Amino acid sequence: MLAVDALGPVGPYRSRKQLTVTDVTGVPVASVSLMPRLYVTRTMSALHRASELPLAQRLRALATAGSLFAKDSDDYVDLVARVSGLPLDDIRFATNAISEACCTAFEAAQQGRPRGASTVEDDRVAEGAVWTRRGHVFAVHAAGNHPAVHSLWLQALALGYRVAVRPSRREPFTPHRLIAALRAAGFPDDHVILLPCEHDVADEILRCADLGMAYGGDEVIAKYAGNPRVLPQGPGRSKILVTAGDWAPFLDTIVSSIAHHGGVGCINATGILVEGDPAPLAAALAARLSALPDAVLPRYPLAAAVALRDHLAQRAAGAQPFLGADQLIHDLGDGSAVLRPALHLLPSAASPQLGAELPFPCAWIAPWTRADGIAPLRNTLVLTAITDDHPLIASLLSEPTIANLYLGNRPTHYFHPHLPHDSYLTDFLMRTKALA
Amino acid sequence: MFECVRDNDDLPGAELSGDDADGYVRAAMRWHFDPETGSPFWLAQAASLGFDPREAVRSVEDLRLFPTVVDQLRNVRPEHLIPRGYGDAADIVGVYDSGGTTGPPKRVVFLDDWLQRMITHMLEPLDRLGIPLGLNWLGILPTGPHAVGHFIGLAARARRGLMYTVDMDPRWVRKLIASGQTAQADAYVEHLVEQSSHILLSQEVGVLMTTPPMLERLARRDDLLAAITRNVRLVMWGGAHMDADTHDLFRNEVFPGIPLHGVYGSTMIMGGASQRLGDTEYPIFDGFGPHITFRVVDPVSLEPVPYGTRGQVVTNHVSRSMLLPNNLDRDTAIRVPALPGQPGDSLGDLAPVQVFGSETVIEGVY
Repeated sequence: MLAVDALGPVGPYRSRKQLTVTDVTGVPVASVSLMPRLYVTRTMSALHRASELPLAQRLRALATAGSLFAKDSDDYVDLVARVSGLPLDDIRFATNAISEACCTAFEAAQQGRPRGASTVEDDRVAEGAVWTRRGHVFAVHAAGNHPAVHSLWLQALALGYRVAVRPSRREPFTPHRLIAALRAAGFPDDHVILLPCEHDVADEILRCADLGMAYGGDEVIAKYAGNPRVLPQGPGRSKILVTAGDWAPFLDTIVSSIAHHGGVGCINATGILVEGDPAPLAAALAARLSALPDAVLPRYPLAAAVALRDHLAQRAAGAQPFLGADQLIHDLGDGSAVLRPALHLLPSAASPQLGAELPFPCAWIAPWTRADGIAPLRNTLVLTAITDDHPLIASLLSEPTIANLYLGNRPTHYFHPHLPHDSYLTDFLMRTKALA
Repeated sequence: MFECVRDNDDLPGAELSGDDADGYVRAAMRWHFDPETGSPFWLAQAASLGFDPREAVRSVEDLRLFPTVVDQLRNVRPEHLIPRGYGDAADIVGVYDSGGTTGPPKRVVFLDDWLQRMITHMLEPLDRLGIPLGLNWLGILPTGPHAVGHFIGLAARARRGLMYTVDMDPRWVRKLIASGQTAQADAYVEHLVEQSSHILLSQEVGVLMTTPPMLERLARRDDLLAAITRNVRLVMWGGAHMDADTHDLFRNEVFPGIPLHGVYGSTMIMGGASQRLGDTEYPIFDGFGPHITFRVVDPVSLEPVPYGTRGQVVTNHVSRSMLLPNNLDRDTAIRVPALPGQPGDSLGDLAPVQVFGSETVIEGVY
């Protein structure tokens, strides 16, 4: 079995307390060291004592790490696919995305720098604004839904933060491989750290960090709502709006928004709002989604799949199933199951299920009218608006709770390193300081 | 008839107390269940036991015949716990509570003959660790209604040192945590750290005794860590669990070179069990036969689990002053063979069970 040790300030550390990680069929594949709180506290102190690497060294190390991460990655890809249940192609995509993010992290971070501010490395500034870090140590409570989430915190490292990552219990392999690569590439051990630990110890990582980011559900959002040092990353509740017109040319985009990446992301569409009768689009989507092969859909341990199905069945009360809970599970007979897409028609745009985000292709389609207005579109990470209505687009653009607006044939999961994900991460990491 | 007992305690007819644990138990049964010498509490229990302990309980092993009575200690009058055999000579040290982690507290009364015996036992490892007499002690521990904060002062006196104390109220911390007031709990612990810091930074403290969470909090501060490393010759811990990984870190990285010695204290054993000395994989606690003995059992069948396996802890206390047999504790431990001559099991890697009865166990600073 593979051993996943903590990557601490003076090298790997193996604890006596171990957590067994199984693949989706229940076969144990790895044993993860779980760190006690005392180790976490002391490790975080070591991060605070370390001083940043010069930018040139950071950039060199990041670029090298990117290559190392992607190199000879077949076993890693296979392992993550087995454990996460995500399609192999998706893990390969994520591997490349992380590898590229290493190379572009600094450049991506610079997209968020105010036009009036210089970098701290720019020593020509005699008087003006300088873009500086809000702290020195950054902590991440990572998610395990998709390996690509690890692209984001690389920006903090690029900006000179020392970074501690608590991996998810489900999939610790990606941050382990990434941090090992960063260290092999030149980041000292006390600059970037992997701290697997139990839930009750995890808070210590955030407590000891200057700033942190925590992935989770609504309970995580609520927990850190009053904590200005923590940036919660909650459900995306991404949506698509289709106003009157022919939606047929956009069918691919809508299907892809729902089901790409196995439908496990916050950038996958959960709510579909349609001006006019939504039933024809629902029928067309159901036909397309039900034709997706198992190979592009997520696999879960059977018990987890059953729990998700039961939750869906309960949530779907009052909705009309096009692809309902009864057809959700394809039991593979090896202890795992594929989750087939789900699609339900809701009676109105105000139905609460419109934001019921589940970790498989699961969408809720509802009628939308001008009278409904912006309200049902609020609290959305990515909104793809398929419309020519420019006043509507303008109001969507100015709506504060819609984080990203894509127009036309852009699936909700569209991504480019220079685009913000949920605003620029640097809005949280950096501040602008006057220098005179 | 009531017999006069020799100065050094012990039970009538139990001269072999050190070597013959079963003989000691038989003598104790005669003492605690004789209407002339037993306590009102135990004599009242006798009727409902369904057996005469003086006949049926012949060994340490037989203590499992007793039903669990400790829940009655939540309401019993402590005067009723004192064996009549002491007559007017009972030297009462005090009445103390259990931690109250699993419901309302259980209450016991300490008599001096037992307390002296317990303190001598607890301090015995210090000689083997080469800890000199005359060091000053700092105890960051609870006093009333808990026993440990009082007794540590007696220990310091026996070791001819000054005693510094910082009082701790573990029940208040647990209450704060249970009601989600984590910031308040943290502020309280910080208050303890601050009080301790005045002593650690201005005085020469040679023996530090507190709970593992407090040790972690002290070690967060570089100045306190430096003071401890400079002066402290022994770190004693108790009152909460220390997992094997944390134990490793304290021994090897936080306090390297300073002996780390644990005491598994419990009101239900009327004292504490000492951590086995030497380089063990995880902290192991040995009984103090025949007075304090342990079994590690399957919580359902109550039969012993195999050695090396985790089970639930059963404690026995048998002394002239008190009988608390067959108490199914809230803690779990790995069953470890006892040392030669020691009855029962030793306890490895103690940990709390998550749920006990209807109450959820809350571990806080204590």
